[in-house]
Amino acid sequence: MSSVKETVGGDLSKDAPPMLELDEIQAVILRQRPAPYFGTHVLLRVDDARAGREFLRRISPHVDSAAGWWKPADAWLSVGISHAGLEAIGLPKESLQSFPETFRVGMAARARELRDDGVNAPKNWEKPFGTAEVHIGVSAFSDSADKWRRAMSIARAAYEGFSGVKVLRTQDFGAQPGDRNSLGYKDGIDQPAVEGSGFALPPAWGRPIKAGEFILGYPGEAGVPLPMPQPDVLGRNGTFVGFRKYQSRVGAFNRFLHANGGTEAERELVAAKLVGRWRSGAPLTLAPEVDDPKLGADPQRNNAFDYSKDSRGRQAPLGCHIRRMNPRDTPLNHLTDVNIHRVIRRGSTYGPPYDPNDLSEKADEVSRGAIFLFISAKAMATMEFLQQEWIDEGDFIGANGEKDPIIGRQEEGATFTIPKDPVRRRIRGIETFNVLRGGEYFFMPSMSALKWLGNLGG
Amino acid sequence: MPTPASTQQNLSGKDKIERFKQLFADAPEVGRKALENVLHEIAQDATETPPPPIESAGRIGVRLGKVSELTIIVPLVAGGAKRLRAFLRLLGGNLARGDQVGTLHNMRFVFFDNDTRLLFATTYDGDWDAYIDDFVTKIPDYLDLIDSAWDGWPGIRSPKAKDYLAAHQISAEGWYVAHPDLTVAETARLKRIGKAVDKFLDEIG
Amino acid sequence: MATPTSAMSRPQAERVMEQKLRKVQEIFADGPEIGRLALEKGTAAFKQELAAAMGQTGATQQTTAGRIGARQGSVSELTIIVPLVAGGAKRTRALLELLEGNFQGADAVGTVHDMRFVFLDNDTKLLFATAYDGEWDAYIDDFATKIPNTMDIVFCNAVGWPGIRSPAIKDWIVKHQIPAAAWYVANPNLTVSKARRLERVGTAVEELLDKIG
Repeated sequence: MSSVKETVGGDLSKDAPPMLELDEIQAVILRQRPAPYFGTHVLLRVDDARAGREFLRRISPHVDSAAGWWKPADAWLSVGISHAGLEAIGLPKESLQSFPETFRVGMAARARELRDDGVNAPKNWEKPFGTAEVHIGVSAFSDSADKWRRAMSIARAAYEGFSGVKVLRTQDFGAQPGDRNSLGYKDGIDQPAVEGSGFALPPAWGRPIKAGEFILGYPGEAGVPLPMPQPDVLGRNGTFVGFRKYQSRVGAFNRFLHANGGTEAERELVAAKLVGRWRSGAPLTLAPEVDDPKLGADPQRNNAFDYSKDSRGRQAPLGCHIRRMNPRDTPLNHLTDVNIHRVIRRGSTYGPPYDPNDLSEKADEVSRGAIFLFISAKAMATMEFLQQEWIDEGDFIGANGEKDPIIGRQEEGATFTIPKDPVRRRIRGIETFNVLRGGEYFFMPSMSALKWLGNLGG
Repeated sequence: MPTPASTQQNLSGKDKIERFKQLFADAPEVGRKALENVLHEIAQDATETPPPPIESAGRIGVRLGKVSELTIIVPLVAGGAKRLRAFLRLLGGNLARGDQVGTLHNMRFVFFDNDTRLLFATTYDGDWDAYIDDFVTKIPDYLDLIDSAWDGWPGIRSPKAKDYLAAHQISAEGWYVAHPDLTVAETARLKRIGKAVDKFLDEIG
Repeated sequence: MATPTSAMSRPQAERVMEQKLRKVQEIFADGPEIGRLALEKGTAAFKQELAAAMGQTGATQQTTAGRIGARQGSVSELTIIVPLVAGGAKRTRALLELLEGNFQGADAVGTVHDMRFVFLDNDTKLLFATAYDGEWDAYIDDFATKIPNTMDIVFCNAVGWPGIRSPAIKDWIVKHQIPAAAWYVANPNLTVSKARRLERVGTAVEELLDKIG
């Protein structure tokens, strides 16, 4: 089932008609990931500008819009273009220069701001990431294998079999049994509610955030639209995407759990404290001592909480993953408007499923992990803020000197603190469990913009 | 503008001394004398591990450990100094809003060149860009009030606001911090612990 | 002298606050629109600061560092802008690069929270701005006794620098120093040495908690 009602609950609110031009906005921006899910990410290089534009003309009619995004759908395709890609298809210079500089230089050049160093440094990335060759990203999402395959054959018809557009990489992905990710967790639960999208998510998800934070051309939280690439037809209803591929070091993760938990119950509690949810998805805030799989599986309840009764992190540790990614009402040490630092996350698990019993070093080298599309009208600035302030550091939330336990790049001898009475538990030797294998910044144009780009140069 | 060089890190003590001597060949007398006095100290320093280098604080400015500097010089509009001084005096020169920001170690407003220019200098935690957007949604009026005295200020909500700040900021070329890993938040935490320890010592003493 | 505001009752203090606020509103009346609007919108929020400024919340008040400069609690500021001799910027810059922009020698002084060197006006001037503990006179004396050579090497490129040990040094500094009109300090009672003690206590506590945890 892929309708939003089944995946996240909420309801089609009659007094909140969509204020957004849904038929201009690419579906993936608003449509939730289904359960189960199947899909593919394809990376393309444009070797000839005319061929690149021909490709866009072929695929545009098949890119799905967000019209009726809350209803079930077969499959949906999305297209994103990097700065190098926009250049390769012949976008005029003035237009190129109207994009933010962070986007223009590409994700690898922002390694310092993203804190992508050590094992995550671009020089260690898988090719073609980190080169100027990643031009276009095509993604397909579906809730069934058949529909996915059909969508992929449509996509392939657009890019295969003509020179001038080359396939660099293809990565299939899909929900693991029971919808778990590569470290065994149910994921993708928390998402920002976008104001004016035509569908009211459950109120416990937090107040809807001004659409302009996620889609260009609409007012953002400060009351004005965010800077938009020019011309208007190109920028409006588009957005930016941070594409990041992580490899999960399953062996290291399991070894860590075993080193810090003698029984399965103890290990599961450690696993829960790292993330802030049990692996079933049940949040610690609602199930602080014992897992509640029914709660974890219930979209109406598994995200309906705040931290008002847990300001000291006795239930969900201050430095746990979900609390860092969305502090909600946690009192923070730095003056922060949490609502301007949210991203829409479309995560996709790839590779063999998680194995709780594999503690080997070989298990760290398997190509398995998560690919994320981080979507926001200012994705570059937001991702760089998140990496600097909420992931690579803990000063903002009182987890000083510590990093995010799931996606932080850990130094030798790093610690993770679990606040507890009477004395906190400080675990030493937490390692990097998800290694960055590559990434890129993409622009995700509106339907009209895709057509306009396909028809450049007359 | 030359950034703090890491190119010099590999100079041996002897090379460093040579470089210093060359540098000071045409310096005023008092400097040359001082150099003679410290030559042996420099030789000693070279054998110890070098101090951590200063780094960029992001778009502009420099940083040591977790602590960065921001130094801005702006021209003031006619009457701007008068208004800004009055506002600052109203607050008794005390800008407790700084506590709310949570990353500010210190901040000063210095009028100079006959009140035609303002030096605004802060010591703060983290990177340059990180919280400016948060200031826009959380304390926009405070910023616009202060910055309304700044010639050419486009308003904090303008997309040109960050460019204005960067254009008027000058990166320090020398930056020293006594406790580079001690952020404002960490200091608050340590103060609480310090109080608790003092209480504990009282009780068991 | 009139009753200090810190000694007033709350209603009394609020009346004084209203008066002061009205005065500022008058002054902003003929300024740019953006400032006037901001003052209107932000007045409620400023009251918090006003209360602090009037000594009603126990916050420190801005005082003087002695001969010149502003001070909050124990922490003072010194800001000087000095003209550089011909070729001075080049030498000072190269010197700072050689030192990798870092002044571990200031540790020896023991009262310096931070200090920065910034070239201004097309390299014709040098800005030196610092935050330090205590009184101005003692600070200058400390530099002169503890790191005199470093001071001379850096500042010899300033026009008319008499040498840190010269009897004329304090007058020279005063001539180039501009006191801050406003000076904010997050932890005004935390000196450099108290901070060092705090760090040690913090480390010891973490070790203790690790052992008994």
